[in-house]
Amino acid sequence: MGQQAVNGLFLGSIYALFALGYTLVFGVLDILNLAHAAVFMLASFVALVLVSDLHLHLLLALPCTMALAGLLGLLLERVAFRPLRSRADSNVAGLISSLAAATVLEAVALEVFGPNVARFPFGTLPAGDPAHPLHLFGAVVSRLQLTIIGVAVILFLSLTFLVKRTRLGREVRAVAESPRAARVLGVNVDRAIAASFFISSALGGAAGVLYGLAFNSISPDMGRSVELKGLSVIIVGGMGSMPGAVLAGFALGLTEVFVVAHLGGSWRDAVSFAGLFLILVLRPHGLLGAVSPREA
Amino acid sequence: MRPSGRAPAILAFAALVAASPARAADATVKIGACLSLTGPAALYGAQQKAGIQAAVDEVNREGQIPGVKLEVVIEDDASTKEEGIAVYQRFIGRDRVSAILGPTLSNTATAVDPLAQSAKVPVVAISNTAPRGITDIGDYVFRVSLTEGQVIPSALKRAHARLHFGTAGVLYGNDDAFTQAGFGVMRGALEALGVRILGTQTFAKPDRDYNAQLTALIALKPDILVVSALVENAAGIVTQARQLGWRGPILGGNGFNSAAFVGNAGPAAEGVLVGTSWNRSSPDPANQAFLRLMAGRGVEPDQFCAQAYTGVLVIARALAASGGKGGREDLRAALAKVKDLDTPLGRFSFLENRDGNHEPALQEVRDGRFQIAP
Amino acid sequence: MGGLLSSLYETYQSTLAYTALNSLLALSVYTSLSCGQLALGSAGFAALGAYSAALLTLQAHWPFPLALAAGLAVPALLAVPLGLPVLRLRGVFLAIATVGFGEVVRLCLVNWEYVNGAQGIVAIPQKTAVWMIYLALGVVLFLLARLRGSKWGFALEAIREDEPAARSMGIPVARYKLSMLVLGAAMAGLAGALEAHFTFMVAPNGFTFGRVVDMLVFAVVGGARLYLGPVVGAAFLTLLPELLRELAPRVGIEAGPLRLMVNGLILLAVILFLPSGLVSLPGRLRAMRAARSPP
Repeated sequence: MGQQAVNGLFLGSIYALFALGYTLVFGVLDILNLAHAAVFMLASFVALVLVSDLHLHLLLALPCTMALAGLLGLLLERVAFRPLRSRADSNVAGLISSLAAATVLEAVALEVFGPNVARFPFGTLPAGDPAHPLHLFGAVVSRLQLTIIGVAVILFLSLTFLVKRTRLGREVRAVAESPRAARVLGVNVDRAIAASFFISSALGGAAGVLYGLAFNSISPDMGRSVELKGLSVIIVGGMGSMPGAVLAGFALGLTEVFVVAHLGGSWRDAVSFAGLFLILVLRPHGLLGAVSPREA
Repeated sequence: MRPSGRAPAILAFAALVAASPARAADATVKIGACLSLTGPAALYGAQQKAGIQAAVDEVNREGQIPGVKLEVVIEDDASTKEEGIAVYQRFIGRDRVSAILGPTLSNTATAVDPLAQSAKVPVVAISNTAPRGITDIGDYVFRVSLTEGQVIPSALKRAHARLHFGTAGVLYGNDDAFTQAGFGVMRGALEALGVRILGTQTFAKPDRDYNAQLTALIALKPDILVVSALVENAAGIVTQARQLGWRGPILGGNGFNSAAFVGNAGPAAEGVLVGTSWNRSSPDPANQAFLRLMAGRGVEPDQFCAQAYTGVLVIARALAASGGKGGREDLRAALAKVKDLDTPLGRFSFLENRDGNHEPALQEVRDGRFQIAP
Repeated sequence: MGGLLSSLYETYQSTLAYTALNSLLALSVYTSLSCGQLALGSAGFAALGAYSAALLTLQAHWPFPLALAAGLAVPALLAVPLGLPVLRLRGVFLAIATVGFGEVVRLCLVNWEYVNGAQGIVAIPQKTAVWMIYLALGVVLFLLARLRGSKWGFALEAIREDEPAARSMGIPVARYKLSMLVLGAAMAGLAGALEAHFTFMVAPNGFTFGRVVDMLVFAVVGGARLYLGPVVGAAFLTLLPELLRELAPRVGIEAGPLRLMVNGLILLAVILFLPSGLVSLPGRLRAMRAARSPP
C-alpha cells in the first residue's frame, strides 16, 4: 500500500509539472498549446546531450535545459501564436498552429537523434547502494524518485512565489483576467504573454528532463503518452488554475497507480479519460478552475 | 582456299558467337523490401535494413547466384498499413520485383500480403511472429522468423528444468500484436508445464512507468516474472523491477533480444533470461561470419537484423536453385524446397506450412552480454 | 496504351482509394467545423464503423451493402448520447472531450478479447472496389452541396459566426450541432467500413489520436469554409507522401522526418497566411493581381 502511494506521488509530480505549463498558457491566452509535449521531449534530448557529450553535471544541466526550453517557448510564441492573436477564432487557430509547430519539432528530433530510445549515462544521478535502499512508510524509495519529487516541489513553490509575489506574476495574472484592462493599466501585454510562454516551456522542459531521468527512456515519441494525460489533468484541475494542475496531477498519479494495482494495467488510461468525461459533464470548471468552459 | 569454303566457315563462326552466353553483364534480379523505417517500429526497420543490405552485398560478392546480380529496393511503410499497401503495389506493378521481404509489423502484413498472394509474388516475412494470419494467407507467403509459438515453449521448458519454478507473475504489452501474441503463447506454455500464474498485468507501448504493475505482481510472491515486451519497454521493466527489490528470475520474450536492451538496462539486465530465435553466441561458422560482417559495417546486430539477413540468404538459395531467372512462380516453388541452409539463425528449412524452422535458444545476460544459458 | 494505364492503375490503386477515404474522413470533421464545433471523435467513429461492418461480414455473413449500412448506423447512433452532454462545451473543451471519446473506443477495442485486441480482425474479404469509395464520396458531396444553399446551410453558418446571436434569433442551435455530429459520425463510420473491406484487416492502432489529427489537418489545409476544401486538402496531403518519397533521396533527408517536417510547415503556412485553406488560393491570387493592376 505504501509502495503504491510512493509510486503514485512520484508519477503524479511529473504529471503535475507538465500540466502546469499547459494550464499557464491556457489561463493567459485561452489557447491549448499542443507543442508543449514536443518541448518536453526536446528538453530531454538537450539535457542528454549536455550531460553525455558536454559532461555537464546534472545540477547544471537542468537549469540550462530549462532556460533553453524557455527560449524555445519564446520562439514558438513569436512565430506560431502572436500573429494569430487578433483573429476571432484565435483559440482554434492557435491549437492548429501549435500542432504544426509540434510536428516540425518532432521531425527535427527524429532527423537529428534517430528513432532509437536513448538514456542518460549510468551514474548521472548517484544511485546510492542498491543493497540498502531507502525506506519510507514501508515502501522502497530510490534516491532518484526522492530527488525528482523534491525538484518538482521546489519548482511548484518557486512558481507560486513568482506568480503571487513578483511584479511579473501580477502582470501575468492581470493579462489572464483581461488583456484589455491590463493594457489600460499600463501592463506590457506582449511581454507578459512572452514571459508566460517562457515559464510554461521551462516547466515543460523540466518535466521532460525529470521524466527522462525517472524512466531512462528518451525518444522522439516520448511526449505521446504524457500529452493526453496532461490534457486530462488540466481539465480535472480546472483550466487556468495552477494549484488545480498540481492537485489533479498528483490525484491522477495516485489513482492510476491504484487502479493498475487492483484492476490491471489495461484500465490505466481509462482512469484519465473517465475523470475527463465526468468532470466535463458534471463540473466543467474542474476542481479549482475559474475559466468557463461552456458557451458564453 | 576455295571461295565457297570461306562462307560456311564465317557463318559457322558467326553462329558460334551468337550462341555463346553474354559474358559482359550478369542478369539482375530485383527484390523489394518493405520496412518500417519511420514510425513506432523504426527501431526494428533500421536493423532489418542493415541486415538486408549486408546480405545482398555478400550474395553478390560471393556470387552465390551464378550469373545473377541481386538488387534490392528498400521502401518505408512508416509503420502503417496505408503506406505498406502503396509500397507493395509499387513493388508488384511498377518495379516488377521477383519477391518481397517484409513488412516489419504483423498488423501491416495481414493487410498487404494478400495483395502479393493474389498477384502471385512470393513474400518472405522476416519479422512477423503472429501465430495466425501470416502464412495462412496463401502459398506465396513464407516466413523465416520463428513465431513466439515456436520460441517461448522451448525457452520456458529449459528455464523450468533449470530453475524449477512453480508459480509465475506475467506482464505483457496488450496494445501491440507481437507482445499480445507472445503473452498468449506464454500463458499456454506455463500451463502446459504445470506452473500456476498468480497474476497477470498489462501495460501499453507508450507507457514508461511500470511501478504499479510490478509492485502488484511482486506482492504476490511468484517464483519467476515472465515478460512479453518490446525493446523500448523491456529495459524499463527490468530496471524498475530490480529497483522495487525483485531478486528473482526474469524471463523475457523475443523483444528482449537486442543490444539496446542490455545497454539501456545496464546492471539490471544481469541474469535476465531471454527466449530467442537467434542465438547470438552460437559458434556456428555462418553465425560467426555474420557477426564479423556486421561488425565490419559498424552495426551491432539484433535478431531483426539476423532474420532479415537470413531472409535474403533464403531467397538467394531459391533463386540459384530455380536457375536464376527470377520468375515468380519458379521462385515460389524453389522457396518451398529450401532445406538445411546454413544461416546465422542455424540450420534453416521451411515447414509444410511455409513457417520457418530452426532451433530456438535460451540466452542469459551475463557480464553485460547475451550468452547461452547453461 | 491500355496496358500502361492498367499497370499504372494497379500500382497507384491504393493511393486513389485512400485519397477518397481520407476525403470522407476529413469531411466528417468538417461537418462539425461548419457550425463552429471542433469535434475530434472521428477516429472513434471510424473504428466503430469498421469493426461493426467487419464483424457482421465475418461472423454473421451479412451481405456487403447491409454491413456497410451498419457501419454507417452504429457510430451515428452512438454519436447521440455522446453529443448531448459534450456539445454544450465550447471550443477546446469539446475538442478534448471528443478526443477522449476516441481514445476510450480504441482502449476498449485493445482490451476486448473477442476482437483479438491489438492483433485486430484479419482475413476480411476484399469487397470494396475503388469506384465504391468514390461513389460514397460523390453522394456525400452532393448532400453537402444541397445543404449549403438551403435553410440548413444558412443556419449552420450563423451558428459558426456568432452562436449566441443565432440562438437569440430562434435557431435551435443544439439540434443543428447534434445533427452535424451525427452526420459526421455516419461518414466516418462508412469510411471505416469501406477501408476495412479494402485492406483485409482492421486493428485498434489504425484509429489513434494521430489519425483524427490528420483528418483535422486535411480539412484545415484544404479549407474548412467550403465542403470542397477537405477534399482538396485530403487529396493534396495523400499524394504528397508519394511525391516526397521520390524527392527525399535527392534532398538527402530521410523520408520519414522529411514528410513530418513538410506536413508541419504546410500546416503552419496555411494557418498563418492562408487561413481559409488551399481552396481560397485562387481567389486570393486573383485579388492580389487585381490590386496590382492599374485602375
